[in-house]
Amino acid sequence: MDKIRISRLSKKYGKVLAVDSVTLAVEDKEFFSLLGPSGCGKSTVLRCVAGLEVPSEGEVYIGATRVNSSADGINVPTELRPIGMVFQNYAVWPHMTVHDNVAYPLKLKKLPKELIETKLKDALHTVGLERLSDRYPSQLSGGEQQRVALARALIKEPEVLLLDEPLSNLDAKLREQMRFELKDLQRRTGIPILYVTHDQAEALAMSDHLAVMNAGRIVQVGTPAEIYTQPADRFVADFIGLMNFVPGRILSRNGEEATVEFLSGHRLSVADRSDLSGECLVAVRPEDISLSPAGPIRCRVVVRSYAGHLIDYKVRADGAVLRVQTAKTEVYKEGEELGLAVQQAILFAARES
Amino acid sequence: MAAASIFVLLVVIYPLWQVLFRSFLDAGVLSLKSYQKVFSYPSYYRALLNSVWISCATAALCMVLGTLLAFLVVRTDLPGKTSLRTLLVLPYALPSFFAAIAWIQLLGPQGYLARLLLQVFGSAAVPWNIYSAGGIVFVLTVHYFILVFITVAGALERMDASLEEAARASGAGTYRIMREITLPLVLPAIVAGGLLAFIGALANFGIPALLGMRARFFVLTTSVYYALAIPDFGLATALSSMLVLVALISMALQFGIQKGESRYTVISGKAVHPAELKLGAIRYPLFLFTVVFVLFISIIPVLSMVLTALMKYWGAPLTTANLTLQNFTYVLKLETAQRAVSNSLFLGAVAATAAMFVGTLISYLHVKAKLKGSRVLDFLATIPYAVPHTVIAIAMILAWAKPPVSLYGTLWIILAAYLAVYLPFAVRTTNSTLQQVHDSLEEAARASGAKILPRLRDIVLPLARPGMIAGWILVFMPAIRELTVSILLYAHHTETIGVVVYNLQDAGYREIAAALATLVMALLIAGNMVIRKLTGGVAGF
Repeated sequence: MDKIRISRLSKKYGKVLAVDSVTLAVEDKEFFSLLGPSGCGKSTVLRCVAGLEVPSEGEVYIGATRVNSSADGINVPTELRPIGMVFQNYAVWPHMTVHDNVAYPLKLKKLPKELIETKLKDALHTVGLERLSDRYPSQLSGGEQQRVALARALIKEPEVLLLDEPLSNLDAKLREQMRFELKDLQRRTGIPILYVTHDQAEALAMSDHLAVMNAGRIVQVGTPAEIYTQPADRFVADFIGLMNFVPGRILSRNGEEATVEFLSGHRLSVADRSDLSGECLVAVRPEDISLSPAGPIRCRVVVRSYAGHLIDYKVRADGAVLRVQTAKTEVYKEGEELGLAVQQAILFAARES
Repeated sequence: MAAASIFVLLVVIYPLWQVLFRSFLDAGVLSLKSYQKVFSYPSYYRALLNSVWISCATAALCMVLGTLLAFLVVRTDLPGKTSLRTLLVLPYALPSFFAAIAWIQLLGPQGYLARLLLQVFGSAAVPWNIYSAGGIVFVLTVHYFILVFITVAGALERMDASLEEAARASGAGTYRIMREITLPLVLPAIVAGGLLAFIGALANFGIPALLGMRARFFVLTTSVYYALAIPDFGLATALSSMLVLVALISMALQFGIQKGESRYTVISGKAVHPAELKLGAIRYPLFLFTVVFVLFISIIPVLSMVLTALMKYWGAPLTTANLTLQNFTYVLKLETAQRAVSNSLFLGAVAATAAMFVGTLISYLHVKAKLKGSRVLDFLATIPYAVPHTVIAIAMILAWAKPPVSLYGTLWIILAAYLAVYLPFAVRTTNSTLQQVHDSLEEAARASGAKILPRLRDIVLPLARPGMIAGWILVFMPAIRELTVSILLYAHHTETIGVVVYNLQDAGYREIAAALATLVMALLIAGNMVIRKLTGGVAGF
């Protein structure tokens, strides 16, 4: 059964439509991400699920309970929703110790002291904070405060966990580490997570499913692999990972294969199931271009940039500058003349409809 | 929301509306007669003119003095800058009518400096007269220049050093940089500070009352006092409305400048310390000048007050034989003084508590709950900030001194006035305190399952507590030394400390007045230290 179900959710601030008729569902034990650039409305959707914002239109279900319905005037207050939430700035209460912060949701439930202590130990153990129980937040690092916030969200055993860009305030190294920890924690507890982020690498790495949002709407929902390899439109293609866009023209179709001609006259066969014809835009991932002295399309290396696990090139071919990523062993000099081959490409309409 | 609205309505809106309404009323009919009266009698329209030119002169002098000192203290390598700065701000922590009293003791006909002059030069009379327009401007300037000092010092500190360095790299000399880069950049701050000084001088009652009334020199605030003594409510309200009008205009100007200043993106709170200007050969002469000046305006008046309190009688020769503690024992036994102290402490404590309570309520509705209409409430509650205290006192008389609710002659009418006067301060402190408690802290409590009351009790109030205690003291301290409102509203048995000090001074019991004032100063300085400790030096003087 769906743990979170949102249907036709809209949110207006004055005349600005921040969220435009969003529909999505998060299944049990699922890690679901809302991904999009800042201001796309993803946080507003999350805050509507939390009850911190009241939707202008639409319905929200958590489990079997309808917590929001604009039509029936239902708006269950945040404090009565079965949610746990972690905020971008952690929102760990600075005047309480780690112990008091994490125990607070249970204290509100008026559970017996011994039970609170038992559950507290479990929660602190889950996030690895047992030894810091008596510290105040000011004595903790960002990563530790993060864990306090997580423990506090988990201890009330909510039906869903809502995470609002929880990793964006951590430094790069710690952020990567926390990705794995979060994922692991979710596997262990089985709690469904609705996760908001603007970091596409984060969303791809952690999610079971993700929804890409732009300007208040959901543009595409899918698994990370689907989103990466079959972006629904130019926006998704551009926003997720790196992408080269080169103008071209579709000459002919043969089943599920289209022949595209670039401005320079070079032709390319592309697997494509769309019904595009005429002018189009060819999108190619940097890792889907290979460089070799014998490649069919002549090019020249403009810039080479060493990235450790790969080499990042900018090459000029027929007036276009392309980003190419090769294995770290394929070393070419700047200014070197060679050829490139496109392994795989996606076609989009020349102009967004 | 409803409770807070009713409170603001009763304490702020209804009384102030009464002032405006009554100024257009003559024998129960709408008319402009009161305003005609103001403009047909020279003694009344002269008060308006006097107010304006006295305030203008004060503002101008404050701008020169404040800017100069701010520059010396912030931008140069003057020795002992930090201590100088603390001392400069000290006089402002004391009520302005204490300053007037101290300066009378120093510069008055039998004042310490006058006597010193007599001894040194043997001249028969001093070449100045403190009981004059000049005396008023002098004491007002010494009291209010700090407003310019603080705004300009702030602007100088926030200025990006690279702007001056760029001018230097372009080949400009120090003097040129100051004149063509630095001065234009802090000009908005200078003018804004000047307008604050203008508003302060305009609304001040104690200084023109103690220094001007004796010479029959009236300004708007003292004219209102006079009109109430007649009593002529039409005249008092017409004068009050004009006072409010002038104050509102200058406040609007000040607000406009502050808003405009934000366009100067360079003064945007970057923590780049501007380079210190090397004073070179004039470093020590300037230091000496500043030290003498600071001594003169902040230490000597306080010493003068203490010395007068210790004298057997005012004007006694300055010998150790004439020193005594009897004034203190006398004032401590004086029934009026005892009553005044307990009245002031009661009024201060109740006003501070009630103002902070209502202020917190309004701020919570506005800053946190963001309820519809709470912005209007917040605005209405801050209106009295623009209204001179004299006018607030009149408003209370008009609103609450006639049947069915006649509070006249009770402490409650003074309390109502204090609440109106201090509510804006309370709301501003609680607003900024609550703004500092990040929204997500409360949202996290909601997500943890906390309803409104546990949320306030466990999260919001504990986090806001230091700011709220500081806010309480910031209301309590000025309230216990308040003069302007109480002098217009007191009756037998409801005197406040300010009223008793004023009346003692006015009746010629200067050493007794000084003794009471000294005790109050000690209390204020102690309170100030507490507040600085509580807020880590952010609030207080």
